[in-house]
Amino acid sequence: MGLEETFKKYKWMIPIISNAERDIRSILMKNFRTRKKNFYPQGDYKADVDNLIKCMLCPNMCRFDCGTLQAASKETMSPAYKARIGYYITMGLIDPTKEENKDFIDLMYKCTNEENCKVWCPFDFSVVSLLESVRDDLNDKGLMPDYCKAKISNLHETGTIENYNIFKTYKEKGIENISSNESVEVFYYVGCEMMKFPDVVNANIRILRQAGIKFSVEFEKRNCCGAVAFNVRDMKTAKDFAEKNANLLSESGAKIIVSDCPGCVLTLTERYEKLGVKIDAEIIHIANYFSRLIDEGKLSFKKELQGDYSQVTIHDPCLLARNLKDTTSIRKILGEFKHIKIIEPIHTKDKVHCCGWSGTAQLADRDLAIKEASNRISELIETGSNIIVSACPLCELGLGYGLNENNKEKIKIIDLSEILIKQL
Amino acid sequence: MTLDNFELIYSRNRCEIKNKPRVISKLKDILGEQNVSTKRVDLLAYSGDTTLIGTNWMLKGKIAGLPDIITWPENVKQISEILKLANEEKIPVIPRGEGSGVVGGAITIYGGIVIDMKKFNRIIEINDEDLTITVETGINGMNLERYLNAKGYTMGHIPQSLYTSSLGGWIAHRAAGQFSTKYGKIEDMILGMEIVLPQGEIISIKPIAGASRGPLLEKLFIGSEGTLGIVTKATLKIWPYPEKRSLISYAFPTIEDSFNAIRETLRENVYPAVIRIYDDQETDRHFEFIKEAKGKVMVVFICEGNKDLVSLEEKITREKCQKYNGVDCGEKPVEHWLETRFKVTETSSTPTFKIVFDTIEVASLWSNASRIYHSVLKAMKNLKGVLLITAHVSHFYPNGVGIYFTFAGVPPKGISDFDFYKMCWNTTMKTVIENGGIIGHHHGVGINRSAWMEDEWGNALNLLRDIKKLLDPNNILNPGKLYQPIWSKVIE
Repeated sequence: MGLEETFKKYKWMIPIISNAERDIRSILMKNFRTRKKNFYPQGDYKADVDNLIKCMLCPNMCRFDCGTLQAASKETMSPAYKARIGYYITMGLIDPTKEENKDFIDLMYKCTNEENCKVWCPFDFSVVSLLESVRDDLNDKGLMPDYCKAKISNLHETGTIENYNIFKTYKEKGIENISSNESVEVFYYVGCEMMKFPDVVNANIRILRQAGIKFSVEFEKRNCCGAVAFNVRDMKTAKDFAEKNANLLSESGAKIIVSDCPGCVLTLTERYEKLGVKIDAEIIHIANYFSRLIDEGKLSFKKELQGDYSQVTIHDPCLLARNLKDTTSIRKILGEFKHIKIIEPIHTKDKVHCCGWSGTAQLADRDLAIKEASNRISELIETGSNIIVSACPLCELGLGYGLNENNKEKIKIIDLSEILIKQL
Repeated sequence: MTLDNFELIYSRNRCEIKNKPRVISKLKDILGEQNVSTKRVDLLAYSGDTTLIGTNWMLKGKIAGLPDIITWPENVKQISEILKLANEEKIPVIPRGEGSGVVGGAITIYGGIVIDMKKFNRIIEINDEDLTITVETGINGMNLERYLNAKGYTMGHIPQSLYTSSLGGWIAHRAAGQFSTKYGKIEDMILGMEIVLPQGEIISIKPIAGASRGPLLEKLFIGSEGTLGIVTKATLKIWPYPEKRSLISYAFPTIEDSFNAIRETLRENVYPAVIRIYDDQETDRHFEFIKEAKGKVMVVFICEGNKDLVSLEEKITREKCQKYNGVDCGEKPVEHWLETRFKVTETSSTPTFKIVFDTIEVASLWSNASRIYHSVLKAMKNLKGVLLITAHVSHFYPNGVGIYFTFAGVPPKGISDFDFYKMCWNTTMKTVIENGGIIGHHHGVGINRSAWMEDEWGNALNLLRDIKKLLDPNNILNPGKLYQPIWSKVIE
């Protein structure tokens, strides 16, 4: 809100204050003057105290759409309460160094980064942005939880989020490594988690080939994008990975970088730029790229459905739908095929509910993340469709964990490219 | 278990749980390990509700009430077993929905066991022929309403707390939504209920559209604020999602003109879903961008439903507004209200300035409405420290209204924020009683109004107290609410 708008909005207060009795006005003025002294921490801190206060004092207007709260069914998981605990930790009312306060610290990590809260926030911030600012202070005090440290340790030791270099498993998984000493048109940036879905990676490679694109994947040189370091707020590691990736991508000469993981796209763009690392290329999600190739006539598919995909439900990855603001690519591509019926769940597109596997919640509380995934599965199968199409390895992983014994055999969670490959 | 750094506001007469480990063990037998907690992180989360003085306390690290044990039952039998155990052990039990109450209804003033109803969130059935939904009461309001919307229906119950309140809370406090003039209050929507009584007995009142079979027993539990039973399931009226909406607004010279226009509209049996009168101060605050409304009283209307009926309702509403000197302000004020109605920012901004802020809603027949409005404004302005007292009127009946006051102020030197807060509440309650009004319209009694229940009910309160004793002889269920004063009536 600009200065003029702020003045207009609050000018009704002027006569109220000026007409107040002298002693009352004096108390009010003192309260205005001493606000920071009374309610803000002393010394250096990184916590976003302004917004922590706003959030904790709000009547929790986003609670109904908070995935972790809906999964836990506990007041403890409510957004405003998380902000309140963040404030108390910052103010020293809760001592984060005491073992007895471990549950309070863990709460700062029980968020999936889905940012549904931001959709409804009267102040237009997301709770995860507040929690991250508290994590910064915890890190400065050497209080990063062990489950976060383990992921950072993996990054340092293997270059990926696993305790082995997952990119180097391409051979055993039957994925072709496409390397090039010359400049390529496109760099296909495979997400760490997508390496767990070799069929999807292979499908994407085949589709790119079919479109005649000159591209590389460079599994031998690859590192994780570093998203987990951003999530746990180890910014030194994050910057290190940003620079490594920027160098690799720059060396490739690619003008377009496509990734099968919306988290990678977000990290390589917005998150790197916040650290001052700019990659001189267009970076987009692969669904968006395929859609473009179709428009350009470089990619065409059989219109008749080749698999049993007559009725599908789309699970929009929240990072793709909300952060990257792309809810059309998947639908547009599926719309290419005859006899396909897309049944939308109640919570869809930019109002999608999370798969549970984003952010740090799955590190801090795996059962909570699985419950969130299970809630999402219930919403998706309420459509009556047995096929759930997504375009994110985290979603496909998370939703998979959300299946139970009753629906495991019946429900198929697939990546968009698994339909496309059959239509080539 | 204590939270040493946090000052407890309601700290007197706390219950002592004898052999707490045994009680916890029994609760875990009933509910499973995962559904019982005495962890500090959970106890602090349940240490208050949304009573607005609580925001001032929160900043200072004060908590309203501290529960001893939190439970999350998953079925009605578990609730029954918890209550049986609580009766044996004489432990207070405080039911809780989303904790959005603003009168202290869910505050654990004596400690005890919290029953959090969040796991009772299943939608059981929509019946299109009967136009009903059967649903568990822990469901969040917005999640219920948007499910209905997706299926082509609405409940028409849209309180400002929609995003942050539960069906159970609405039933407990006799809630009203922004569209209540057409769809009614929650008590008008309930057709049947399942209830667990204080001693653990489960009763079921089947859905009834209209009947004659003895007293309306179900009404006893609506508005009982978790003191007479825990409503676990309800069957409610629903409506097809309206096919047309008409947005209307008029600015009136005086609040009396607006009252007359609306009263006469309702006399014609015309019910706009939304009617909201903003007094001149609130008009300046919310509609400063509407030049025609400056210094006047803005009224926004929404008529909705069948398109032919909506057209007729709009025509009649406009005629009545024009008759009482209303100036047509178009759709913009209504659009503005629709856009901003859930953007609650005041609670987040006032406490850091140590401003005490709250809203108090009261009810009145038409004949007293104007007098109550002016009298409360006058009384509150005379209270030292009050900087702002305004009102809007947002719930209408052919016979009366619900008036919603907003106040803000700073405690004078030597008076605590809590005492100042109580003085503001008591001043309003006293003035309303003296002018023939009703002490509350839709937020309930809780703690904040309990000192005024005798003035409100007279000797009928004894009958309510007798019913409480009959159903809950050990005073287990939500003690300290409704029937006994917790605050004194101090005004100065």
